[in-house]
Amino acid sequence: MNTLTTIDELAFAPALQQDTLEDTTSDHALLEATRSGDQDAFAELVSRYRNQITSYIYRMTSDYDGAVDLAQETFVRVYRARDRYQRSYAFSTYIYRIATNLAISELRKRKRRKLVSLTGFFQPTDGGEAKELNPPDQRPLQDSELVDAERRNAVQRAIGTLPEKYRAPLILRDVDGRSYDEIAAILETSEGTVKSRISRARGFLREKMRAYL
Amino acid sequence: MKDRQCELIRRELDELPLNEDLSAAAAEHLQSCAACREFRRQQTKLRQIVGSLGTVNAPPDFDFRLRARLAADSQPSGTRYWSFAVKGLATAAILVVVGVGGAVVWQRGHQPVTVAEGPGVHTQEVGETPPPPPTVAPKVTPVVVFNNEPRHKPQPPLVIKPKRTLTSADFSSEGANVVSITRPALNKSTVFPIEASLQSVKVSLDDGRGNARTISFPPVSFGSQRVLTTANQFAPKGNW
Repeated sequence: MNTLTTIDELAFAPALQQDTLEDTTSDHALLEATRSGDQDAFAELVSRYRNQITSYIYRMTSDYDGAVDLAQETFVRVYRARDRYQRSYAFSTYIYRIATNLAISELRKRKRRKLVSLTGFFQPTDGGEAKELNPPDQRPLQDSELVDAERRNAVQRAIGTLPEKYRAPLILRDVDGRSYDEIAAILETSEGTVKSRISRARGFLREKMRAYL
Repeated sequence: MKDRQCELIRRELDELPLNEDLSAAAAEHLQSCAACREFRRQQTKLRQIVGSLGTVNAPPDFDFRLRARLAADSQPSGTRYWSFAVKGLATAAILVVVGVGGAVVWQRGHQPVTVAEGPGVHTQEVGETPPPPPTVAPKVTPVVVFNNEPRHKPQPPLVIKPKRTLTSADFSSEGANVVSITRPALNKSTVFPIEASLQSVKVSLDDGRGNARTISFPPVSFGSQRVLTTANQFAPKGNW
């Protein structure tokens, strides 16, 4: 238990305590605490990022159960590598990088497995433009919520058809609202490349979503 | 010139956050360029739709499952070793059982067929005449031919049976006893002195896989061995 030895400490005690509290709740501090065996600190990190990471991987893979598994794998890897973690970049960048690598790896595995997807039957084998299996219903819907739901489904499907190198930056930027420099750090590429890829991704989406725009 | 300007303006629109104002130059350009206005409208709508996707929450048991996964991951190495050892031993035991079983099956498949010895070849004595020198029947040696085809389709071994051997006696140089109804045989018996064995010959075969077969050869009969009474309408007449 700390003891106060001077009157100055007594006067500034609340301020010092606040500083200490803020410091201990930063991601870096939580990971430091995890490294020293504090399980609660890791639980706090998980509670901060579990929804973000699950959602991000889900947007990448369009598979909720798989996304949950990969999100868990992301945290397992963070936990295993807690001793090797370096504070040279933000923890969010670090964990998003792991999640991105896992998601892209999963997408490549699927491609190798050549999973038979329903949309695959409508995709030309010569690498041409994919046709939409479930084209938007042009009839007016009664409920605006239904319209929104249909629109979101269409967006998710359209994002799922993007090449992975365009998909990740678009999701990070337009869904998660990350900055260009952070996206560049996550994807380990330049900011210019990120901007270019996001622009291309939006162009693809604009073509696919023309009926909704 | 205008295309180049449109390109620059569109790039700016692309990079600008949704809630930020355009530059003065971009705003001025948009007033005069319908294509760029349409581009901006579509781009804004698209980004709003994509942004409306929102966050998908993790399931409620996410923490629990993660904790279980981490606990399983951080098992002490000794436990992991024993777990591995138990699995290895189980695998080895299964392999041994399968190997022994295979060996037994293989051995049974290669075991020669044994032929149980049946009663020997009998020579017959007719009346009191000295028995003719018995013709020694050739030794019956069953020949077993193994099938050399692959073992996955086992077939019973082929047994070639020896040709039936005949035992014969030449009675042409001796007088035959006359047996008739009116003059019974010397031994006052109503039974013909022909002593044909009434026992059937049984041969037992074992195919090597525990299947035994017994083949029974009925005794050769030359008709009734008892003297029929005259009352019998089918009784033979005179000398038989």
